[in-house]
Amino acid sequence: MQNGAPKGNSRESEIIDVLETHPGVREAAVVRDCVDGYRAFVVPTDSYMDNVLGRELAGATVVDRWRKACELSQLTKEVASVPAGFNTIGWNSTYTRQPIPADEMREWVDTTVAEILKLAPRVVYEIGCGTGMPLLRIAPHCERYVAVDFSRVVLARLREQLQTIPAARDRVELQARRADDFDGLEENSFDTVVLNSVVQYFPNATYLTSVLGKAIHVVKPGGHVFVGDTRNLNLLPAFAASVETFQAADETSAEDLRHRILRRMEREQELVVSPAYFLSLKSRFPKLSRVEIQPRCGRADNEMTHYRYDAILHVDGETEASSGDEFHDWEEKMWTLDEIRSMLRLHPNERHGIMRIRNARNERDLAALAALKGADAAQTAGKLRREYNQYVAKGIHPQDCIDLMAEGLEFAVYLSWAACRPDGSFDVFFVPIASLHRMSKPAIDWPKLEASALVRLTNAPGSGKLRNELVNQLLAHCKQKLAEDTVPVEIVLVDAMPCLAGGGVDSLALLASIEHAAF
Amino acid sequence: MKGKPEIHEFVKSLLINNGDDGPLADDDSLLLSGRLQSIDAVEIVLFLEENFGIDFAVIGFDKDQIDSIDAIYAMTQTSGKPS
Repeated sequence: MQNGAPKGNSRESEIIDVLETHPGVREAAVVRDCVDGYRAFVVPTDSYMDNVLGRELAGATVVDRWRKACELSQLTKEVASVPAGFNTIGWNSTYTRQPIPADEMREWVDTTVAEILKLAPRVVYEIGCGTGMPLLRIAPHCERYVAVDFSRVVLARLREQLQTIPAARDRVELQARRADDFDGLEENSFDTVVLNSVVQYFPNATYLTSVLGKAIHVVKPGGHVFVGDTRNLNLLPAFAASVETFQAADETSAEDLRHRILRRMEREQELVVSPAYFLSLKSRFPKLSRVEIQPRCGRADNEMTHYRYDAILHVDGETEASSGDEFHDWEEKMWTLDEIRSMLRLHPNERHGIMRIRNARNERDLAALAALKGADAAQTAGKLRREYNQYVAKGIHPQDCIDLMAEGLEFAVYLSWAACRPDGSFDVFFVPIASLHRMSKPAIDWPKLEASALVRLTNAPGSGKLRNELVNQLLAHCKQKLAEDTVPVEIVLVDAMPCLAGGGVDSLALLASIEHAAF
Repeated sequence: MKGKPEIHEFVKSLLINNGDDGPLADDDSLLLSGRLQSIDAVEIVLFLEENFGIDFAVIGFDKDQIDSIDAIYAMTQTSGKPS
C-alpha cells in the first residue's frame, strides 16, 4: 500500500517496498518526520506472528495461566463463607489491592444484569461464567442457559451455588470449555451470547476475534453478543496514571512517577480493548447489523465505572432508516444538567443529541495526567494528589443523564462511547418515549470516530517480546536493503491503516495515534 | 531439592521480566506490595508444584504464603515433599 504522500516521494515508496518483502508485514506506511527522519508503520501478518514468532503457543500458555489464577482464587479459605450467589473472591481494587467493597460489587452485578435483561434473553450461551454472579440472576428469566468456563474448580463451586437457587438450577447447563471451543454448537442456536468481564483474560486480538466470530455464528437473527465490562484502551494512560499516583509515596518525583506509569502500561498483562475494535467488526462480519458502545452504568467511583464499557453486537437485527441525527457540541455550550433538563422540558417531542460531554467520572484523572505530563522537577506525587483531590469537575456524570429517565420527562436516554475520544467524553441521545414504536433501541447516527482511533485496537499483553522481535527483524531487514539515511528511525506496529476518503493512507491519523497512545 | 538461593533466583527472574531490576531482600513483599501481579503468583505456584510437589488444591491457597522469598521457602519446608 502506498502512503498518502504524493507520487514522487520515492524514498518513502522505497522503504515501503522493502518492508513489504518481509513475510511478517501485511501492510506498511511511511511518514517523513521533519526532525528525526522516516517513521514506518506496519500491520503485521497474523500467520507470521502466530507460527514463526510463536504467538499462538504463547497465547495458549497465557490462557492456561489465567485459568490457574482463577482456580487459585477459589482455593482460599474465604470461599467457604461467601454469600450464596455473591462470590466476589478475586475482585480486588487495582488501587488498594484490597477487595472491592461489597456495595460496589452489588451495583456492578445489578447494572450488568439490567443491561443483559434489556436484550430479552431466552436462550443464552455464556462464555467464562466464573462464579456466576450475573448468571444466577439472569437464568431464572430464560428457557435455557448454557454456561461454560475453562476451570473445572470454578464450575464445581458454581454447581454448589446453583443447588440453592432452583429457579436458576433447572435452566442451567454447566460445561468445562475454553472460550474458543464451539464444537457441537449449531448456527443460530442461541439468542444471546454473553462474555462479561472475560475478554481481558484473552491473550490477543486474534483470539478475541476468533471467539467473537464463532459467537456471532451461533446467534440467531435478532439476537445479540454482549461483551460486558471491557477495559477501555483509550483511557489506559489515565487509568495507569491514576493508579500510580494513588500508590506513590508523597516524595516520589514527577519524573519517577512518569516512568512508573509507562512501566505499568508496558507490563499490562490483561487485554485492553478500544471500542474502535468492536466497531471495526461490522466490516469483518456481515451478520452484524449494529454495534453499540455504552459506558458502564452506576454511581460507584471505581475502576469499573470509570474505565470500562459494554459492547453490544446486534446480529441481523431490525434497523430503522437513519434519520440524520444532529448533535449539539457540549464543549461549545458547556451545558449543566439543569440546562439539559430545561431543553428536554421545552422540546418534549423532539430527539436531542449532545456530543463531547466532558465525563465527570474521568475528568479529574485526565486533568492530573495532563498536569503530570508537563510537570517540572519540583512536582511530587504528594503535591499532585493534594492539588487534584480538590478538583471540581465541570463535566457531567453519565449516571446523571441516565437518571433523567426517572424524573418523568418521558424520554429514553442512550449513552455512547463509540467516538473513542481519548478524553473519555461521551455522547448522549434523548428520544421521546412516545416515538419509540415497537423498537426498544432506535438506530442513532452517533458521531463518528476519528481515523486515528482505528490504528490501535488492542494492547498486546504477553506479546511484547514477540512484537519487539518482529520490530528488530524489520530494522535489520531495512539496514540490509536500504541506504543508511533511509532506514526508519522507528517502526511502529499497528492494528490497521487509517485511510483517506480519496484513497491512500492517512498519515496525520497515524502520527496522531502515536500521540494518543504515548505518555 | 532446590533451596532458598534457587527460589531467590526464580523470583528475581520474574521481577526482571516485569522490568524491575531493583534490590530484592528475602523478606520483601512481592504480591501484596504490587511488585508482582496475580499472573506472576501463578508462576510461583507452578514453580512450587513442579519443584517441591506442593499441591495447593489440598492445602488451600493464600497470597501471604508466597508473598516473600522467606515465606515461599518456609512453605517448601512445611508442605514440600522430600526428594
